[in-house]
Amino acid sequence: MKRARRGFLMRFALLSVLGMLISMPFFWMLSSSFKPRVEAENADILPEQPTVQNYPVVLDLKPDPSTRRFLGMRYGRWYFNTFFVAVGITFLQVLTSSMAAYAFSRMRWRGRDTVFILYLSTMMIPGVVTMIPNFQVMVWLGFVNTYHGLIIPAAFSAFGTFLLRQFMLSVPPALDEAAQIDGASHWQIFWEVIMPLARPGLIALAILTFLGSYQSFFWPLVMLNSQDLFSMPLGLLTLDSSYGRQTEMIMAAAAMATAPLIVIFVIFQKFVVKGLQLGGVKG
Amino acid sequence: MKYLFGGVLALFLILYSVALLTRDHKEQPGITSIRWCTDANPARTVQIAAFTRLNPTIEVVLDPGARQKLIVQCATGTGPDVIDMFNREEMVDYVASGIVLDLTEIARAKGFATENTYPAVREALTVEGRQYRFPCNVGAYGVIYNRAIFDDHGVPYPDENWTYEQFVAAGRRILDTPSKSGEKHIPVANWNSRLFFLDLLVGNGGQFFQDHGTRSALDSPEAIEAMRMYHALMHEEHVLTTPAEASAMGSQGGWGAGGINWFSAERAAMIFIGRWYLCQAPGYPALKGKLGAARLPRIGNRASTGLCGARAAGINIKSRHRAEAVKFLQYLATSEYGELIVRDGDSLPPNPALAQTGNALTNAFVGDPAFHQIFIDAVNAGRVLDSSPFISPTQVMRWLDERIGLVENQRLTPEAAMRSLAKEVNETIRGSLERRPDLQRKYQKVTGNAYRSDWWK
Repeated sequence: MKRARRGFLMRFALLSVLGMLISMPFFWMLSSSFKPRVEAENADILPEQPTVQNYPVVLDLKPDPSTRRFLGMRYGRWYFNTFFVAVGITFLQVLTSSMAAYAFSRMRWRGRDTVFILYLSTMMIPGVVTMIPNFQVMVWLGFVNTYHGLIIPAAFSAFGTFLLRQFMLSVPPALDEAAQIDGASHWQIFWEVIMPLARPGLIALAILTFLGSYQSFFWPLVMLNSQDLFSMPLGLLTLDSSYGRQTEMIMAAAAMATAPLIVIFVIFQKFVVKGLQLGGVKG
Repeated sequence: MKYLFGGVLALFLILYSVALLTRDHKEQPGITSIRWCTDANPARTVQIAAFTRLNPTIEVVLDPGARQKLIVQCATGTGPDVIDMFNREEMVDYVASGIVLDLTEIARAKGFATENTYPAVREALTVEGRQYRFPCNVGAYGVIYNRAIFDDHGVPYPDENWTYEQFVAAGRRILDTPSKSGEKHIPVANWNSRLFFLDLLVGNGGQFFQDHGTRSALDSPEAIEAMRMYHALMHEEHVLTTPAEASAMGSQGGWGAGGINWFSAERAAMIFIGRWYLCQAPGYPALKGKLGAARLPRIGNRASTGLCGARAAGINIKSRHRAEAVKFLQYLATSEYGELIVRDGDSLPPNPALAQTGNALTNAFVGDPAFHQIFIDAVNAGRVLDSSPFISPTQVMRWLDERIGLVENQRLTPEAAMRSLAKEVNETIRGSLERRPDLQRKYQKVTGNAYRSDWWK
């Protein structure tokens, strides 16, 4: 009994230390967001003279106290853009991935597994390699500097298809057979039988996709030219210029940008873990 | 499930409509929009507004794009119209990649030729005699120091003619003499290792290349000595923070721009920097009245000199609004633009007529003309870094950064670092010349000798 208790305490202590280490950058970000500029480079964890003024400055409600100029950041707009693009990408990716996953897991057709492997192999190609050709396609389609240029290319995902296929494979085939005997079409089986049963997988994919597109940086950077289309990560870039890095402002903006992600993660963490297990273990 | 998907689709469509309807950037008839790729400096908004006042039919959209974005967009012919290049290396690369337009004739006709700016910086605007950019600002470094910290340690201010030895001695005294306030101070804030080293290199008479750019001069005694001085300042004299010390003190995961903030927060006594520091200084009101400036210390018997450069704008060769982009470059040479640079303290204006004396440059934060005069003198005495037509300067800089890191961390001696760097540069030049007939033709042109495979022997 004593031994078990000691083991528990040791595990608890170890996990507490690890937890603190992991949360330290987040805590530092939060604390720096309350520092005045003169303290921004201090390694001290807590601000000596805490201030909340960085937040209204980032939101463009007040001018920067040191330069007496408004930063001109469109924080609200960037927040909205990030959220709306993430919703669009999540919706389309979950829809297309689930349809593809259904075709790869429940329908029998010639070359199915070969096509699936080919589709899956696209995950092996690093994004930077295909960056210029993909961008060229966007130019031809006239999608540069538009919202749909961000949404449509991200609407299809080999990872999402793989994740949902694995989930759908775990649904007993007898269910579709029973539905088929009752005269259900593939369309009906997909919506009425498989999709409700694949709900945990769908939620996991939706959360992973939402989180991924919320923090996406490079593709929006290349695609967008107008500041009113910018997403949050691009907006943060505007605080790093030849006038210097406004660390305390970046941290205030980052703290506000991170908040929704943390809420989403805390609420849906069970599904996120499930999704990671599905994608990582089942091959 | 269908209803859930339907609901999300409806939400998405509503958000999409709201996003499109509330966009504030809409095409306006009769207005041509050009894109200026630069950093997202708040001063740009003011500079753009002044341009729009002068040219009401041209709208300038600020594009705070990174280099990667520029490369991807220019590769597909959709890059920005006006491109800021922060140093000569960038320009040389863009010229080699066919990204920027040759401005020589247009600039001469429109009043923004190299003759319209400081003689010292002209070379930084050209490649093989052709002009590809015009300055947004021009600068060379001096030493900005905090008078209060010098007083606190009882150290006399640097004089106009100070030497490297006097500079080291001042740093040592700041380090060794207890201050009246009881505070400890860093003698010199190193915010950019490469630029600090390059100032030592130029100040010591060193250069990058010799023999028409066919050989590296980075293993010359001057260059090795410059690296030795850099190492000694850090590890023998301890007046410059080591990377480990900087990481321990700063919160930004290293020195970098953090060094500037350390100087601004009055933790460091001196900094090698340009007049553009005055753009940031107002963020630290306690500094007002405390800043002094001195020329870079003289090394040996040489006059004070350092690296001179410009953030300068060029035009995308594939710009669909070339005439409007040219107007923008013309604007950079005007007094309207130059006065904004003077007021903000953003280095020196491109038009030298606006920066004849320190008196012309005084601004709200530093009213002492002597402070500003230092930077005019620094630009006039400055030198542009030489380059070779046979190797990408960006590549050389990357290797130099690696060597500086190795010396800073005492993993290579200064001599070994510079010799290995020169060897790597020479081998690359040799390899490129061997492979590329266009470079062989260039070799013939610049050296006047026919290319032979054993040319380097």
